[in-house]
Amino acid sequence: MHGLTRRSLFAGAAAAAGLATIPLGGRSWAQTGRLTVTSYGGTWEKAQREIYAPVFTRATGWAVDVLLGGPPQWLAQIEANRSNPPIHVSLMPVELALAGGKKGLFEKISADKVPNLKDVPKVFVDLVKGWGVCTNYGAAVLGYHRERIKQPPKTYREFVDRTARGEWRAALPGIGWAFTPTILLWPLATVYGGGVKNVTPGFEAVKRMRPNAVFWNSVTEFPQLLETGEADIGIWYDGRIWDAYDAGAKWLAPINPEEGAPMIPASVVKVVNTPDIGWKYVDAMLDPDAQLKFALLINYAVTNSKVVYPPELRERFTPWERTQLPPFEEIGEVIPEWVDRWNREIRA
Amino acid sequence: MAQAARSRTGSIAWGPALPALLFLVALFVAPLIDNGLRSIAPPAGAPWYAYYARLVSDPFYLSSLVETVGLSVLVTALCLVAGYPVAYYLTRYAGRWRSLIVFLLISPLLTSIIMRTFGWRAIFARRGLLNTFLLDAGLVDRPIDLLGSPLSAVVGLVHVLIPFMVLSIAAVLEKLDPRIEEAAHVLGASRTQAFVRVILPLSLDGVASGTILVFMLAMGSFVTLLFLGGGSLKTFPLLIYQQFNTTRDFGMAAAMSNVLMTIAVALMFVQLRLIRRTGVS
Repeated sequence: MHGLTRRSLFAGAAAAAGLATIPLGGRSWAQTGRLTVTSYGGTWEKAQREIYAPVFTRATGWAVDVLLGGPPQWLAQIEANRSNPPIHVSLMPVELALAGGKKGLFEKISADKVPNLKDVPKVFVDLVKGWGVCTNYGAAVLGYHRERIKQPPKTYREFVDRTARGEWRAALPGIGWAFTPTILLWPLATVYGGGVKNVTPGFEAVKRMRPNAVFWNSVTEFPQLLETGEADIGIWYDGRIWDAYDAGAKWLAPINPEEGAPMIPASVVKVVNTPDIGWKYVDAMLDPDAQLKFALLINYAVTNSKVVYPPELRERFTPWERTQLPPFEEIGEVIPEWVDRWNREIRA
Repeated sequence: MAQAARSRTGSIAWGPALPALLFLVALFVAPLIDNGLRSIAPPAGAPWYAYYARLVSDPFYLSSLVETVGLSVLVTALCLVAGYPVAYYLTRYAGRWRSLIVFLLISPLLTSIIMRTFGWRAIFARRGLLNTFLLDAGLVDRPIDLLGSPLSAVVGLVHVLIPFMVLSIAAVLEKLDPRIEEAAHVLGASRTQAFVRVILPLSLDGVASGTILVFMLAMGSFVTLLFLGGGSLKTFPLLIYQQFNTTRDFGMAAAMSNVLMTIAVALMFVQLRLIRRTGVS
C-alpha cells in the first residue's frame, strides 16, 4: 500500500485544478432540460416562478432554475464566461441591455424565434436595439404621504422649490442606486433646461433640495423612510407604490409630474452561446395571459398589445404618453462622469 | 527507511492542509491575481498604472482613503474602550451570569446584518425611538437628523463589531491566573496599578487579536455604511460598489480594492509590531 506523499498530493491537486477548468454547465447542462433565468427578489421572483416558468415548462417540458440577484451581477457573470454562460435568459434594464448588446453578449430577437413578438409595438424592441424586448414598463413618479401632504406638487419645479423651502422632506435616490442618473439627474436637468449634454441644472436642483432630503440606496427603503417620518415625499416607481399600497400603506399615493416622469421599461434578453430554447422562455414572457397575470401581480404595464386590463388596474398605470422616454444609450455613456461628479458635489 | 519516514511525515503535514490549500488557491490567490491583472489593464492608450495614478493624485480619492482608515481607527478604538471592561467583567465577576452575557454578546451575530441595520434605522429615524424619547423628554424641540450621518454609521459599526473585540480579549484574560493580580495587590499595588502594570500588558495578545479583527472588518464594511451612513461617508468599499454596480468600471474597482488591501495589511503589521513591543512577550 502506498503512503500519501507530498508529490502525490501535488499531483492530485493539479488534477483537481485541471478538472476544475473543464467547462461545465452551458450546453452540456442544457441537455438535461433545465433553463436558468434571472429575477429580482420579491414579487418579481414570484412572477418568474409562478407565472412565466409554468408557461415555458408546459410548452417545452424543460424545468426552470431562477437565479436571484441584480443586473450588474448577472452581466458580469455572463461577461466572465461568455463561451459558456451560466445564465440563459435574463431580465435587464434598458441601459445594461444596450451595454451588453454592444459587447455581443445578447442575441438579436425576431418574430420567427418569438411568435408573440408580433403583438408587441416595435418601439419596445427598438428601445434595446433588438437585443431583446421590453416586457413591461413603469414610471419613476413622485410618491407622497397623503396624510402629511394635503397639497402635493404638480410639477418637478414645484417639487424642487417646495423641498428647498423645507415644506417637507424628500426621499431621493442616492448614487448607490444604479438608476439614479436616469430617474433623478436626467429629468431634473431636462426640466431646468439642460439634458444629457448639460446635467448641471440637474445637479443644482439636487443641491437646492439637499438640506431637506434623505437618500435611499436600496429600492425597498422608500416606504420605510416615509413611514418612519424620515421623509414625506420622494421619487419611486409607480408599480412599487401600488404594491406598497396593496400591502397596507394606504397613506401612499403617486403623482406623475406635469413634465412627465421618466418611463422605465424592463427588458428580457437571451444570452449568446445558450440553447435556442431560451427564446421559448422569452415568448412565454410575452404571452398575453401570462402578461396580464404579471400586471395584476406587480402593477406594471405590460407590452403585449393583446392584453386587456381590468379598469381598476388600468387606472393605476401612468399613461405612457404622459411620461418621458429617457435617452438610455446617451445616459449610459455619461454615467461614470455623473457618478464621479455626484461623489464630489452631493456626497449621498 | 529515512526517506519512508520523511514521506510519512510529509503526508501527515500536507494531507490535512490540502483542502484548505486548494480552497485558498481557488478562492483567494486566483481572484487576487485576476484582480491585480484587471487593475493594470486600463482602456487603450492609457499607461498600465493609470488607475493607480488616479487614486494617488486625485484629492477626492485620497480624502476617501483617509476617511476609510480614519473611520476604521475610530470604530476600533471605540470597540476597545467599550469592549475591554466587558471582557474583564466577563472573566472576573460574571460568575453564573457568564453564559448569559456571552449569549447576549453573540446574539447580534446570529441575526442578519440587514435586520440589525434596519433596527438601527428604526431607532435613529426622525420619528424613531430616540427622537421620540428626546422630544417627549423635552430635550429637543424638533427631531434631530441622525440617520444618514457619520454618527449613526459609527454606532451601527460598533454594535456589529464589538463582540469580536470582547471575545478576543476575554479569551486571553480567562487564561490569566487571578493569583497574579492578587500577588500584585499583596506587593502593594493599587487596583489601578495592578491593572495597568500587570493585567493590561498580559492581555495585549487579546487586544491585538481584537484590534486587528475589528479594524479589518471595519475597513471592509459596506452594508452598515450604505444604510446608516447614507453616503455621508465616502469610504472605499462604497466607491468599489459604485464602480461595480453603477459605472461598471471593474479595472478601477480592482485598483481600489488592491490599494485598500495593501493599506489594511500594512496597518495590521504596524499594529502587531506596536502591540508586541509594548507587551511582555
